[in-house]
Amino acid sequence: MHDFVALEGRGVVAAFLASSEFVQAADAQARALGYREVPSVFVPHPIQDRTDEEMRALADAALEEVLARVTR
Amino acid sequence: MDLLDEGLVAVVKRDCPTCQLVEPVLADLSRAPGLRVFTQDDPAFPAGVADRRDDTALDASLALDIETVPTLVRFAGGVETGRVVGWSRAQWTELTGVADLGEGLPEHRPGCGSRTLDPDVADELLVRARGGSLRSRRLEISALEDEAEALFDRGFSDGLPVVAPTPARVLRMLDGTSRKPDEVVAVVPPNLVEATVEKVAINAVLAGCRPEYLPVVLAAVEAACTDEFNAHGLLATTWAAGPAIVVNGPVRAEIGMNWAGNALGQGNRANSTIGRALQLVIRNVGGGRPQGVDRAALGNPGKVGFCFAEDEEGSPFEPLAQSRGVPAGRSAVTVFAAEGPRGVVDQISRRPESLARSLALGLRGVVHPKLVRGFDATLVVCPEHARVFADAGWDRARLEAALDEALLLDRAEITRGAGGIDEGVPPGGSDQPLPKFRPGGLMIVHAGGGAGMFSAVIGGWAGGPGGSAPVTREVEPWR
Repeated sequence: MHDFVALEGRGVVAAFLASSEFVQAADAQARALGYREVPSVFVPHPIQDRTDEEMRALADAALEEVLARVTR
Repeated sequence: MDLLDEGLVAVVKRDCPTCQLVEPVLADLSRAPGLRVFTQDDPAFPAGVADRRDDTALDASLALDIETVPTLVRFAGGVETGRVVGWSRAQWTELTGVADLGEGLPEHRPGCGSRTLDPDVADELLVRARGGSLRSRRLEISALEDEAEALFDRGFSDGLPVVAPTPARVLRMLDGTSRKPDEVVAVVPPNLVEATVEKVAINAVLAGCRPEYLPVVLAAVEAACTDEFNAHGLLATTWAAGPAIVVNGPVRAEIGMNWAGNALGQGNRANSTIGRALQLVIRNVGGGRPQGVDRAALGNPGKVGFCFAEDEEGSPFEPLAQSRGVPAGRSAVTVFAAEGPRGVVDQISRRPESLARSLALGLRGVVHPKLVRGFDATLVVCPEHARVFADAGWDRARLEAALDEALLLDRAEITRGAGGIDEGVPPGGSDQPLPKFRPGGLMIVHAGGGAGMFSAVIGGWAGGPGGSAPVTREVEPWR
């Protein structure tokens, strides 16, 4: 979330990406940094035990939503 | 308050038998002009005095630096020229120039303590004198609220009761350091908020610290909020570790820390509250809370606070702080990422080589017995194990080298799938054995009670860049 804020501060359009377990953490950190809402994409949890193939599939599935968040 | 430029000033209180004894003397002196009496408790006391002033606010008493009542002071040209404390016929006569004072009274009688020194009043006076130096927002707690409950309700607690950080307590805490209250100590994650000396002092009060612990807390906060230590990552990780503190140097004894029996446990105020103060700074200043940015899947009980001192005196090793560059004779803290400690038994080994291998086996379990070079660890060598190394003339470097050697792991045992366990290091690469820890990823400390051949392994977190490395900072002397 700090990265998101830093990128936005430099004029780089950004979106926040994490797994669904981190909705609460993202919200807490965003609010602490003064954002009521941050363009975010949450992919299905879990992450740590995914194979490379499964990770690619998750990324592919999220791509459209990520693009939507950074372009609207 | 209007002190006199010329004449006599007396300070009294009704709640003092000596002041009551001299009541008629003051009345006699009052027949001539030039006597002013300040009363600390009852404005109607003493009777028969013409120029009597209410000093229940104690302004005159403070200005005159009164420690005992009655005190009689002579002024000439706006300057104090003489002072008598308590009742003494001879001294009062000399100071006033009036003969035959206090007929029927004893020759002398000691006075009583000034109200400015009453413990309840002292707090109020402290706040009146220096409260203006505090910048933090004041919270009002209504008379109907329980103080401890109110602090829970407002979210300042780690789950245990905290000490209410009243302005007087915070000011007394600040007496523990020569640093200015508004000086910035560190930028505290996760919200990257500047922690001033005052904010750290407030959390030290909440944690239950004594003022003389404050320099240790300040050094720990400074060390924890560095990029190398990465308290932000340590907080946000789903791993269980939290910040722990080892204290070295003279400050350990000065503030009564424990490095002997139960060194890693409960029961010592400095050990318990210094570690807690650091965690409360991260919570209350940095905003790092469980169910918020603290994402630990399990956490560990040490996250309430984990701090202990090294036993330097009984150690065969150079003190940890010295091994990390702090000059001998100075005090320092070393912060490191820590899970809960787990014991390693060896009641048989009398050879250092055997004992080192034993301890290495205990260390192998850190993070996972089949994983290497990811996580750091700390080994707390107990005195009865240290004796084996001391007898053999082993120093810290020798033990480290022996542990490193014993912790070169055979790839065949740790590759994914080995032992019927899918977890492990990825296959491929050379057949060379792999070191369990990264260079510098294992820290050795000496502490504990004199009986029990039980050292402790404290697992850490991802070591080095991107993770956390131990950080050492000197402690400013507190007096």
